[in-house]
Amino acid sequence: MKVTVVSRSGREVVKGGVELSDSATIADLQEAIHKRTKKYPSRQRLTLPVQPGSKERPVVLNYKKSLKDYTSGNSETLTVVFKDLGPQVSYRTLFFCEYLGPLLLYPVFYYLPVYQYFGYKGERVIHPVQTYALYYWCFHYAKRILETFFVHRFSHATSPLSNVFRNCAYYWTFGSYIAYYVNHPLYTPVNDLQMKIGFAIGILCQISNFYCHIILKNLRSPGGEGGYQIPRGFLFNIVTCANYTTEIYQWLGFNIATQTVAGYIFLVVATFIMTNWALAKHRRLKKLFDGKEGRPRYPRRWVTLPPFL
Amino acid sequence: MAGFFSLLRRLYLSLYNWTVLFGWCQVLYFVLKTLNESGHQYVYNAAEKPLLYAQTAAVLEILHGLVGLVRSPVTATLPQISSRLFLVWGILWSFPETRSHVLVTSLLISWSITEIIRYSFFGFKETFGFTPSWLLWLRYSSFLVLYPTGISSEVGLIYIALPFIKASEKYCIRMPNKLNSSFDYFYAAIVAMGIYVPGSPHLYTYMLAQRKKALSKSKRE
Repeated sequence: MKVTVVSRSGREVVKGGVELSDSATIADLQEAIHKRTKKYPSRQRLTLPVQPGSKERPVVLNYKKSLKDYTSGNSETLTVVFKDLGPQVSYRTLFFCEYLGPLLLYPVFYYLPVYQYFGYKGERVIHPVQTYALYYWCFHYAKRILETFFVHRFSHATSPLSNVFRNCAYYWTFGSYIAYYVNHPLYTPVNDLQMKIGFAIGILCQISNFYCHIILKNLRSPGGEGGYQIPRGFLFNIVTCANYTTEIYQWLGFNIATQTVAGYIFLVVATFIMTNWALAKHRRLKKLFDGKEGRPRYPRRWVTLPPFL
Repeated sequence: MAGFFSLLRRLYLSLYNWTVLFGWCQVLYFVLKTLNESGHQYVYNAAEKPLLYAQTAAVLEILHGLVGLVRSPVTATLPQISSRLFLVWGILWSFPETRSHVLVTSLLISWSITEIIRYSFFGFKETFGFTPSWLLWLRYSSFLVLYPTGISSEVGLIYIALPFIKASEKYCIRMPNKLNSSFDYFYAAIVAMGIYVPGSPHLYTYMLAQRKKALSKSKRE
């Protein structure tokens, strides 16, 4: 079978096309393109051509499917549109980089005399809440890194390299911003009761968050496949994205205990981002599980922020 | 019902645009009059009242975008209006030492001419449903000169204000405090200046693209 590979503008990407056997899969095609263009498979996005001026979204070719699945009738030729997605990194690498920053930067503000460079020369008194906050913070990011390697199963293998810089900027900047104020020599601690309530909420939510991730892991096969399923059990019976709920409320707990404007700004930004993700997932699940043609109906649930949303 | 709301919207936007236009006309009139009679040192004091009213009224434009009264994206409106308000209230109003500088004159002339063209353009559009071709051309061409002069004046005035900001410690929040936060207006002003570096070319190229689109569209018609 002859496959013509063109760019979105219609220019031939692989001169003369690619010759493949009739039983070849999209993965084989991607390998063939890789050999000819030096663009590895995860960089490639292959779609079927659409009519010029058409508003419909192009069909993305699934690497597991056969080429025959995309040809019309007994046709021996196929035209695919190639888009270079740019340099890619694995999701594990991305998450490791973004979480390693806060894990290493926070203790710098706690242990090292950084505040001398900001003009604070006096003796620094470390309050118990600052020590607990350090343990809490490091536990949180260590947990995230360990989950990345041993718990999460990713539906997409890779992410664009540019996301590493963007996500690292977000996490590392906020990490330093919060660490600066929580470990400040002039930090004013909250009362003991407030601290205990805050950390209790936080720890409870962290444990719940871990359990939510285990539930989500079991929805997917080890390869990351499994499509969309209705998550059930534990908090997922009342909230669509219980993993985000617990994430948001554990940061709320941390902020109740430490009380910094920096922490609350981070909480608001993170809540905004996760709420958008949750709304998108909620809509997707409701659309997918509509109760028609034998499909189950998606149950009525909070999206991510009970009792608000 | 939809027709009634459409009429109400047009009425409101017409009133808004002509009112703010009147404010900017006053600003330009006072600037030129004072410049002619007394010199650039007295320009701000003469134009202060209409300037504060007209520029602060622009906050409503963000609101118009948010509630869908106008099509302009909030992402484009917000940074422009924020920077203007920062200059008017955060620099000129807060630090009187900057008011006598010659850059205030170039700033106010650039702003007022830009806004007179812009608000009359929208005023015509909302009230009469059309805009004269010469006004359309001005709307999408005057920025070629007025943006560089306006932006240079803005950056220049922030720079001039820096020593006064540092000395006065105005708007600064220092630790210790219950909310464990601090704010240094001096560094905030430096950050604001820094934003102009990538922001200005971005805005300029955005306007060039808008110009190309608008003028080619008017040619076709």
